[in-house]
Amino acid sequence: MRPLLPSLMLPVLLLGLLATAAPEHSLAQAEPPALRTDHLYSRLVAEDQAIVPGESLRVGLWLRHDPEWHTYWRNPGDSGLPTRIELGLPPGFTAGPVQWPIPERLPVGPLVNFGYSHTIVLPIDIAVPAQLDAERVTIRAHADWLVCRVECIPGEGEYSLVLPVAKEATGDPRWVADFARADRLQPEPAAGEATMSFTDETVEIRLPSHVVGASGPEPGMSIGPGWVFFPATPDVVSNTAEPRWLDTGNGLALVLPKNDYFVTEPARFEFLLARGETGTHFEARPVTAADGAGPAPVEAAGSAADAGAPGAPRLPAAPGILLALGLAVLGGLALNLMPCVFPVLFLKAAGAIEAADDRGRLRRQGLFYTAGVVLSFVAVAAVLLALRASGEALGWGFQLQSPVFVAALVLLFFVLAMNFAGLLEFGGRLAGAGQGLTQGSSDRAAFFTGVLACLVASPCTAPFMGVALGVAITLSAPAALAIFAALGLGLALPILALGWVPGLARLLPRPGPWMQTFRQLLAFPLLLTVAWLMWVYGEQTSARAMSWLLAALVGVAFGLWLLRIHWRWPGYALLALCIALPLLRAPAPSAPADRAAGEAAAMHERWTPARLAELRAAGEPVLVNMTAAWCITCLANERVALSSGAVRDALRARGVHYLKGDWTSRDAEITAYLESFGRSGVPLYVLYPADGGEPVVLPQLLTAEMVRQAIEQI
Amino acid sequence: MTFQKTLGLALALVLTAPLAPASAAEIGAAAPAFTLTDIDGQSRSLEDFAGQTVVLEWTNHECPFVKKHYNGGNMQRQQAEATGKGIAWLVINSSAPGKQGHVTPEQARAIQADWEAGQSAYLFDTDGEVGRAYGAKTTPHMYIIDADGVLRYNGAIDSIQSADVADIEKAEQFVEIALAELAASEPVSQPLTRPYGCSVKY
Repeated sequence: MRPLLPSLMLPVLLLGLLATAAPEHSLAQAEPPALRTDHLYSRLVAEDQAIVPGESLRVGLWLRHDPEWHTYWRNPGDSGLPTRIELGLPPGFTAGPVQWPIPERLPVGPLVNFGYSHTIVLPIDIAVPAQLDAERVTIRAHADWLVCRVECIPGEGEYSLVLPVAKEATGDPRWVADFARADRLQPEPAAGEATMSFTDETVEIRLPSHVVGASGPEPGMSIGPGWVFFPATPDVVSNTAEPRWLDTGNGLALVLPKNDYFVTEPARFEFLLARGETGTHFEARPVTAADGAGPAPVEAAGSAADAGAPGAPRLPAAPGILLALGLAVLGGLALNLMPCVFPVLFLKAAGAIEAADDRGRLRRQGLFYTAGVVLSFVAVAAVLLALRASGEALGWGFQLQSPVFVAALVLLFFVLAMNFAGLLEFGGRLAGAGQGLTQGSSDRAAFFTGVLACLVASPCTAPFMGVALGVAITLSAPAALAIFAALGLGLALPILALGWVPGLARLLPRPGPWMQTFRQLLAFPLLLTVAWLMWVYGEQTSARAMSWLLAALVGVAFGLWLLRIHWRWPGYALLALCIALPLLRAPAPSAPADRAAGEAAAMHERWTPARLAELRAAGEPVLVNMTAAWCITCLANERVALSSGAVRDALRARGVHYLKGDWTSRDAEITAYLESFGRSGVPLYVLYPADGGEPVVLPQLLTAEMVRQAIEQI
Repeated sequence: MTFQKTLGLALALVLTAPLAPASAAEIGAAAPAFTLTDIDGQSRSLEDFAGQTVVLEWTNHECPFVKKHYNGGNMQRQQAEATGKGIAWLVINSSAPGKQGHVTPEQARAIQADWEAGQSAYLFDTDGEVGRAYGAKTTPHMYIIDADGVLRYNGAIDSIQSADVADIEKAEQFVEIALAELAASEPVSQPLTRPYGCSVKY
């Protein structure tokens, strides 16, 4: 038989021996200060200042962690240990279980843990006997825990708490707020029972039928994708994977990969679904014959990552797959207008102008271009999904969180700019304006122009895309890939339309020498993009690394010039060196803390989940701005709206705290926050009214007036 | 250099972002092969131990859970008993440079000597490749591979998840039990348990 693991033991062991109810004749001692152990303050606290016979007494283990340190939930996840509390109570007192608040998801490399940081109370209710002769009662406790940052240190403490016995009790002002927060973080028990079934690789959990999929515009009204899954019973499902949500037509279901240490099918599996401070506690039991009367389980055998049985009803929740697809096409279309994509569009349009009279060639090239765009979008999406399946906390734009990718883009844009400016002609014939294109290479060129369009579009998350991509990430893999493909289709649509919409091609201007001039002109927006990406790179790394990259650009230009004067080998060698070195020797991203240091003087504070929770708990209004240096929409919004005098005055007048989260480099907490709003990328602006009202999500394109009004309405 | 090549390079960069491989270690299947450098700079492969039962122990001398089993003498006792029966006991350190538990061969030698440890070899997996291939999550994390190279056990060293030395004698020693079952040509009764300890510092 499998031994009883400590994590399965009753969380609270009652040691009645330790305590007595004998009256304490000594004067009430000053309460001992919090126990200081490695990276943690702890103490035993009571919600009220006195004990009332016959009523319940709420005590708790109060933990204050040093910044970055945490202790663990009842299921600690892939490593760690749950905190254990043993109460020593006088005879006649009985204690309930630890009321674990909703934990935080704590990724550590490839592992995920569940636990608490900052300040938290783990409450326990104690039933007090109706007859109590004593004047004072001593409650004792022993607790042990593991406190970790990356490294871990076990700790333990002995506590005692002396409380007077009284007819009625008032709250202890020191701990009221902490208990209130623990209360808010208590998951609600679900009204019905969930069922579960197993395949070789996965566990499918069906939520009780009264649970409605998120379909309304109001976030937080019902459960759906974007809610965070916490397995409370260990060793059943993977701690790292995020569940795949299915609409079975008969309620919601979640599919998760099995835990690496799954041994037998459990008789009972507990889990939480939570979003922010709201959460529901579920219990699932295996499907019985009676349950089997319903529709057959949706999930065919196979891992959750391979996403697949076609034909199964797989209706995603809000905003609906068709709407999401439509938004994705629109978003892709809007991408054509972004300053970084436009020059590439011109490359293609130049080809189209040349071919304007030849409908067949126009169509053919349009199709190749579209194939290039769609395939590269799908490829990037597949990488994104694969990485997420392996537990990485990523969202759209994740490529730009890697300095190597940014450096590659800098080099790419720079070489393109050189090409547009005329310093370099690609093979004389490829994709060049004003040049006759041979059949074979023009197809290939059209395809690669499409790939290029996808690459350069990646920095520009246009409006519409946020929502569409947010949905994509919570869907099954085929649906998610379809969304990305739709996005690519939108991007390719104008060129595709040229070949297929009669008359459109005739509207194109006549080819002529103006094209050469226009092409040279377009080198400048490209160089501007280089300047901007350079800044992103500098933000991610250091001024030193940025200077090296600049030097590499000079080297590239010099190499291209050498080629021009037919010094071929030195030219190629220099080019290879200047392109390869920045990519191979990429410096590590700088820590957010380093960047935060420079922000100290600004009017905003750095966003952390704890700071937000703290302000919300205090009933303060908060504006959250999730941004990244590589997100041009974010920067525009900050410049135009958020940094404007009107908004600043409104924030000050209303006493709104302005928290800014920087997603320039990877940050799992920000990713989780974005997902809680159904988003997978920045920008995201959330305005929390005072006194804990429902948060308002602002649009992705802001004006100063819009923000000012929103602030004044809360 | 052509247009396509520039693009190819950039796209390759996007697409070859490292994919975290899923663990290939499965009970009853061939254990992932590996070659690592030992404390003396010698190359040691799993193949070198073919025909022998092999125990893998993931270590990090600064981890309180590893300290528990060394300070309590549990690890050394099991190492001595196993190697005495011709079993190869390999200690593997997957701590990356700069991370907790990363040591030089000299330091490793001193640490193991100080603990009077009796491993057959101490191997460095600095890039974490072998740890990831096995799905090593914690220190300690234990694996047993039989004489035919088949993985027979994956999990914790014992049944009580704590950093308290006093728990050792109360716990069921999973590795010891599994080795005894293998020696008696019996199936391992608990081939998969949840390992506990510090996360491996990849």
